[in-house]
Amino acid sequence: MSGSLARVRAEATGAMRTFLRRRTAVFFTFFFPVVLIVIFAGLVRTQGAGGGAGLFSEPTGYYLPAYLATVVLFTPLSRVGSEVARHREDNRFEKLATTPLTRAEWLAAHALVNVVLIVAASVLLVVALLLTGANFELSPWLAFFVPISSVLFCGVGAMLGSLAEGQDGAIAASNGIALPLLFLSETFVQPALFPEWFRPLLDFSPLVYFSRGVRAATFPEATDTAGSAGVVATNAGVTLVLAVVAFAVGAALIPWTE
Amino acid sequence: MDPVLVADDVEKSYGDDAVALDGVSLSVDAGEVFALVGPNGAGKTTLVRCLTGTTDPDAGTVRLLGEPPREARKQRVGLLPQAFAPPDRLAARELVRYYAGLYDDARDPDAVLDEVGLDPEEGTWYGDLSGGQRRRACVAAALVNDPDVLFLDEPTTGVDPAGRRALWSLFADLAAAGTTILLTTHDMAEAARLADRVALLAGGRVAATGTPEHLVAEYAGDARLVVDTDADPEIAGFDGERTDEGLVFHGVDPAEVGDVAAALEDAGVDFGALSWREPGLEDAYMALAGDAERGEVTRR
Repeated sequence: MSGSLARVRAEATGAMRTFLRRRTAVFFTFFFPVVLIVIFAGLVRTQGAGGGAGLFSEPTGYYLPAYLATVVLFTPLSRVGSEVARHREDNRFEKLATTPLTRAEWLAAHALVNVVLIVAASVLLVVALLLTGANFELSPWLAFFVPISSVLFCGVGAMLGSLAEGQDGAIAASNGIALPLLFLSETFVQPALFPEWFRPLLDFSPLVYFSRGVRAATFPEATDTAGSAGVVATNAGVTLVLAVVAFAVGAALIPWTE
Repeated sequence: MDPVLVADDVEKSYGDDAVALDGVSLSVDAGEVFALVGPNGAGKTTLVRCLTGTTDPDAGTVRLLGEPPREARKQRVGLLPQAFAPPDRLAARELVRYYAGLYDDARDPDAVLDEVGLDPEEGTWYGDLSGGQRRRACVAAALVNDPDVLFLDEPTTGVDPAGRRALWSLFADLAAAGTTILLTTHDMAEAARLADRVALLAGGRVAATGTPEHLVAEYAGDARLVVDTDADPEIAGFDGERTDEGLVFHGVDPAEVGDVAAALEDAGVDFGALSWREPGLEDAYMALAGDAERGEVTRR
């Protein structure tokens, strides 16, 4: 195995072991999406009557991107953000800076851990949705959008952790950013419910491309355009570019040295 | 042979007022154990960070193994940072394996753990180890790449006396095997025991550098006899000094202690304990650090 891959594997193995031994973190990583499904798909029953303009007026399948976004967005933002802050507080970066490991390798390792966790949580979520009778396509594009968007938000999490003061600040910042993003990205709230002047601003959310792409791939009837395949590909492209940029900026900002 | 570590007129400040290093110059030769001592905030950790490349000096030059620190071969460098806390949910063996995995060429983690006195089979997580065991695990992580240059920033802080002695013995063995060690410490016994040379940092400057013996001879003053009494300092021809410890007589030879005791008794002085001690590195430290606090530091 080449040096870089070996280092990423060592870092990822250590990070995964550490995470799996935090039982509370593991429980809530998987409990959070399940509880959302139970509340919205099970209790609220988002099977809309059709034609309404209120919240949850669409069929459950429409909200698949929203449910997936809860793990794709929240898990990497809070985990990577707090991990960066913890590494800085504990002088772990100072130690790592004197090893051959690079910032990009460190972030790649932690992104890998997050992708594994998020894919597992997403599978759980999709199965739970199917059990509630939700109707959507199991598109292979999910295997693109979920990991790539996870990497995107790992990059954003690294930025937050680098800029925030300490773990508390990183967690507060990640929650403060994730919650608005979750509801302003064509996930739970349809664009038609926002004022007309506000709708163009939705394009500034990095999550909106995940949401549009996943919806076009798994619930094509919600896509207005003639060809949902084009919508999927376009949003996949934007998501990929955003992921590359966020990863590069996130890695560059990691406080490896003073 | 070129020095392994060089700092030449290094300056570093944090903000406008906090001067951490103010023109520090020193060099460390291959195989040497060099101790940086000084009060909190003297600039020891900042200097270590400059030398390891984890911070950049504002002015001056630093060299590690003949290169700017960030260009030096990381395989040859080991670091135990100050207040270092690795992942707490890994056992010591997993922790050392983790760090071993970051190098192209690493030692057997079990052998390193054995060397620092930890049982490789012990599965206790780092967070559940005692303070001394934690520090040993951190030392093992710093040794796993078999470094030629080892930076130890307060390596025995929080370690009990027995554990400290075990680590000193390990460091001495490493030095004997040719590893260059830069050590920071508040423990003068540690510096005196391990270091070939000591630099005292105070107020961001090197107040003095030399072998422990040289620093003691130059700055520590005379042998001291301390008498626990409230009596007048000038007793029977001995010039005493009143201090918080009691009455202190300087330059008293051990053979003269009995004479002093007899003189005190003849003078009817009521006294308790008598204690005599040779000057040590701590006395040199106190003298130089005191100068620094009074703003009397000059580079020596």
